[in-house]
Amino acid sequence: MRNRFKQRWNTWINRRVPRSDSQTLSQRNIFILPTAAGVVFGILLLIMLITGINYQNSLIYLLTFGLGALFVGAMHQTHRNLSGLTLALVRAGQGQAGEEIPFVLRVTAAREPGLGLVLSVPDSRIAGVHVPPGEFRDVVLPVPSAQRGYLRPERVQVETRFPFGLLRAWSWLRPATAGVAYPRPVPAPEAFGQLEDGQQLDAARPVQGSDHADLRPWREGDLSQRVMWKRYARSGQMVVADWEGEQGSPQWLDFSAFPGVDTELRLSYLAWLVCERGQQSARFGLGLPGETIEPDAGPAHVERCLRALAVWGQQPPRSSGSLAHGTRNTELTDLAGDAR
Amino acid sequence: MKIWPVRQLSGNRNLPLGVDALPAIALFWLLCSFALLLIPQWDRLPLWLLGACAVLAGWRWFAQQGRVRLPGRLLRTAIMLGLVGLYIATVQGRFTVETASSFFVLAVGLKWLETRTSRDFYVLFFIQVYLAAVNFLFKQDILWALVVFAAIGCLLVGLQVLNAPDLPRQLRSGWKRLGLLLLKTLPVVVLLFVFFPRLAPLWSVPLVSGQARSGISDTMRPGDISNLAQSSARAFRVTFGGSLPGYPERYWRGLILDYLDGETWRQRDQDPIRRLGRVNLDGGVGELASGEYDVLMEPTDQRWAFALDNSVAVSGNVFRTPENLFRFERPADSPIRYRLALSNDTSVDPGSLSEDEQRRYLQLPRSGNPRARDYARELASGKRPVDVVNTLLSRFRTQAYYYTLRPPAMPRDGIDALLFDEMRGFCAHYAGAATFVFRAAGIPARVVVGYQGGDPGAGGEYLIVRQYDAHAWVEVWLPGQGWVRVDPTAAIAPSRIESGLRDAVEEEGSFLENELTSPHRYRDFAALQWAALQLDRINYQWQRWVVGYQGQSQLDLMSRLPGGFGLRELGYLTAGVIGAGLLVAGLVSALSLRRGEKRDAFGRVMLSWQRLCEEAGVPVRTGETPFTLAQRLSAAHPELGNTPQLFARAANSHYYSDPPSGTPGEDVQRLARLLKTMKRRLRRGSARASEHD
Repeated sequence: MRNRFKQRWNTWINRRVPRSDSQTLSQRNIFILPTAAGVVFGILLLIMLITGINYQNSLIYLLTFGLGALFVGAMHQTHRNLSGLTLALVRAGQGQAGEEIPFVLRVTAAREPGLGLVLSVPDSRIAGVHVPPGEFRDVVLPVPSAQRGYLRPERVQVETRFPFGLLRAWSWLRPATAGVAYPRPVPAPEAFGQLEDGQQLDAARPVQGSDHADLRPWREGDLSQRVMWKRYARSGQMVVADWEGEQGSPQWLDFSAFPGVDTELRLSYLAWLVCERGQQSARFGLGLPGETIEPDAGPAHVERCLRALAVWGQQPPRSSGSLAHGTRNTELTDLAGDAR
Repeated sequence: MKIWPVRQLSGNRNLPLGVDALPAIALFWLLCSFALLLIPQWDRLPLWLLGACAVLAGWRWFAQQGRVRLPGRLLRTAIMLGLVGLYIATVQGRFTVETASSFFVLAVGLKWLETRTSRDFYVLFFIQVYLAAVNFLFKQDILWALVVFAAIGCLLVGLQVLNAPDLPRQLRSGWKRLGLLLLKTLPVVVLLFVFFPRLAPLWSVPLVSGQARSGISDTMRPGDISNLAQSSARAFRVTFGGSLPGYPERYWRGLILDYLDGETWRQRDQDPIRRLGRVNLDGGVGELASGEYDVLMEPTDQRWAFALDNSVAVSGNVFRTPENLFRFERPADSPIRYRLALSNDTSVDPGSLSEDEQRRYLQLPRSGNPRARDYARELASGKRPVDVVNTLLSRFRTQAYYYTLRPPAMPRDGIDALLFDEMRGFCAHYAGAATFVFRAAGIPARVVVGYQGGDPGAGGEYLIVRQYDAHAWVEVWLPGQGWVRVDPTAAIAPSRIESGLRDAVEEEGSFLENELTSPHRYRDFAALQWAALQLDRINYQWQRWVVGYQGQSQLDLMSRLPGGFGLRELGYLTAGVIGAGLLVAGLVSALSLRRGEKRDAFGRVMLSWQRLCEEAGVPVRTGETPFTLAQRLSAAHPELGNTPQLFARAANSHYYSDPPSGTPGEDVQRLARLLKTMKRRLRRGSARASEHD
C-alpha cells in the first residue's frame, strides 16, 4: 500500500521533472512545505492568538498577524529563491567505483537571486550556494557510487530554506547523462606475467609462431623496447613493430586471460592492469568479449579502456527508464557471460 | 574528452545544518533581541534574575569567541538547580502571570548555556517570540512596543544569518530584505488587524500583579496620598464630548472609605463580587455626545472606575453601585476604556438613610482623639448640620492651617495633633480629620478617595490626570440634600483645587521633589514640556486606536462603514479578505508564469525537440550541436526525411543570427511546425512498425 503510494508519487514527480540535463525551475516543478520549525512556528502563532484573545491584547494580535503575514511572505521569498533558476549538469563525472564521483552542476539565476541553496543526492550534499541575479555558479557535487557502470543520480535535489528556515522549497534535476564508475582496480595475479621494466628487455621479440608485424613510425608513448633499434641504426628512422596475433601477450590485456574468475573480478584485474600500463605510459590493447580496443597509449586511451571496462555488458541508461542510480543491469551481464 | 572550464566552484562540502557551530552574527542578533526584550521587564523582574540572564548570555557570547568554554553537563545542571532554587525562594509559591513570565525569562537564560546547534537556535527563537507577546501583556506604550518590535526584527535578521551565514556581501542586507518583506505584507496585516473578529476571552485568567501598582489604594493612613503626590505617572485620560468642566469641578470619585480603624480609614464592605460570567467589553461606541466623556484608564488591578459627580454609565463595561460609584466587572489589568455621561437630573429626592447606613456612616473607634470629640460635641450643640459643616470649614479657612507635602509625624491621636497642635497636613489628613469631627458631631460622613484636577494634553483635546492629582475629600449627608461634597483642602489651600498641586505647594518647592526625571517637574523648560505632551498625545492615540482596538471599537468602526456590520458579517469579511488575497496572489503568480513562458517560446520548442529525440531513442548528449543530434535522429528514423536537418538549421540560425531574421517569433513558429511534422511522421512510422510485427 505504502509502496504503491510511493510509486505513484514518484511517477507524478517524474512527469513534472522530465529527464534532462537542464532544468528550469518554475511553479510546475518547485515544491514547498513548512519545515519542522515552520510547523512549530504555526503552533506558536496559534498560541499567541489565543493569548491575544484571552487577554484582549491588541498588540499581541498585531504581533501575531505581523508574524503570520511574514510567514506567508517568506513562502513567496523561499519560492522565488528557486523560481527561474536553471539547474544544468555540466559534466558527469568519472571515477572508481566505491568512491565519490564528482558531477559538475551549473546553477544559473535569472532575475531573482538564488540564495542559500543546497544541492544534494542521497548521502552527499553541498550547502551554501548563492547565485546573484543573472550570474551562474558551478558546483562540484560528489556522487557516491557503489558498483562499476553507468552512474546516474536518479534525482539531484536543489533545496533552499532561506530566509527564515521556516519553509523548505525544493526541486529536482533528473540528469539524462550518466557518469561512469570504473571497476575498482584489484591487483592481477602473478600468473599473468608481471614483469618489471628491466625484465621486459625481450618483450619486443615476436612470440613464436607469429610472423606478422605491422611497422609504423614511432609515436609518443611507445615503449622503447618495441623500437626497431637495428633499423634505426641503419636508416635513422624510429620504427615500431606492432605484433599481431599474439594472445596473452602483455600488450594485450584480455578478458579471457583469467579463466575461471568471476566476471566482475576479471574487470577489476583489467582495470588495475590498465591503470598500471597507464602509469608506465605503456602501449597496450584491450580485448573484451564483443569489444576490442586497438593498442595505443596515453591518458585518453587509458580513459577509453577504463570506460569500456566500466560499461561492459551494460546498456546506457534510457531516459525513460527509471533505474535507481548505481544499479547495473544484471541480466545483460549474465547474457554476456554466457556468450563468452 | 573535453574538460569544461569550471569558472567558479563554490559551496562547502557536507555541512549539514545544525551540526556545525552557530554563526557568530546570528548569535549576536539573538542576544540583541534578548537584551531588548528584557528592557521592558526591568521593573518587574527580580534583580538577581536580570543579573543571571546577563551573565549567562555573556557566557555564551564569550564561548562563541573562544575565550571561555561552555559548561559541561555537571556544571550546567548545578547552575540550573541553583537558579531554579533561587527562583522558588523568590516566588514563594505565588502563582501569577508575572511569576510565570519571570520563569520564562529564567528558562531563556538557562537555554543560553546549551545553545549549540541551529535547533537550539530555533528553540530560543520561539521562546523569545512568545516572550515578546508576554511583554505586551504588561507594557503597551508605543515606545515599549517599538522596543519589542525591534527585538522581533533582530530575531528575524538572526534567522536569515543562520540560514545563509556565508552570504556574499552585496546580498547580505538582512534588514533591508526584512523591511521589504514587511512592507509587502503590511496591507494584509492592517486588514487582518482591522477586520479579524475580536472574540471575548475564552477563559478568564486575571493578570494579577504580584507587585503593587502606583495609584490610590483602598486604605488611607495619613501620609499615603502624599507619597502618590510624588509621582507624575498617568492615572487616566479623559476626552469630553462637550465643553470641559472647570478645574474646581474636576472631582473624580473613585472609592469611599467609611470605616475608621484606629488611624486608618478603610472600606467596611469590600466591593460586591459579581458572578463570573461573560465579561461585557462594551467600551462605548460612536461619537461622544455632548455631556458624555470617555476615560482611558491605566491598569490599576482594581475594579474601581473614576467618575465625576452625577454620572451615569453609558458603556456596558462599568456599572454603578448604590454609593454612586462605578465598578468594572473584573480588575483592570490592562488599559481600559469606558464611557460615562453627566446627568443634569438633580431633582431626585435623596430619601433618607437607613438604620444600617446611619450606623455605617457614624462609626468611630471607641477611644482616641478626645480633643476632637470634645470639639465636635461643642460644635453640634443646637446647630443644624449645615452650620456645623460651615463652622468647621471657616475654622480651616481662618486659622493658620497649612497644606503641605511635608507634614510632621503625628504618631498618637493624629487628628487631635493635626487640628489643634501642628495644623500642617495633606489632603488625606484634613479629609480624615473632618470626617471624624462630623461623625462625632452626629452627621453621617464618609471619606471619598479619587483624583482632583487634570491638565489638558497636547492640542487640548483631552485631559491627563496624573497620580499627583490624587485627592481625598469628604461627603456628608444633609437631610433633604443627600450626600454633599465638602472639601477641607479647598478651604485651606484654594489653589490646590483651582489650579492643582503644583501651585499649591509652589512656595514649599516640594512638587515632585523625588522624581528628578519627570518632565512635569520642569515646567519652565517649555520645550521639554511640549515634547512630553506630544509624546503623550501620540501614546494616547496609540492606546485609543491600536492598543484599545477591541471588540467594541471594532464594531464601532464597522458601524461607521456603509452597511451594518455585526460580528458575523465581520467573520465573513475576514474570510473574504483572506480568500480574495490568496486568489489575487495566485492569479498574479500564474500570470507572471505565463508571461515568463511566452518570453521563452524558443526554449520551450527546444525542450520539446530534445524530448522528442529522447522518445525516439536518440539520447541527447551534453555539448552536442543541433546538427549532430539531427543526423543521429534521421539515421535512427529514416522516415523523418530531412526534417531533423531543417530543424537544426533553423535552430542554428536562431542561435547565431542577430537580430533574428524576419518578424520576431516567426523562426520559432517555423521550428514548432517542423517539430509537429516530425512528431506526426514518427507516430506514423511506429504505427507501421507495429503492423509489421
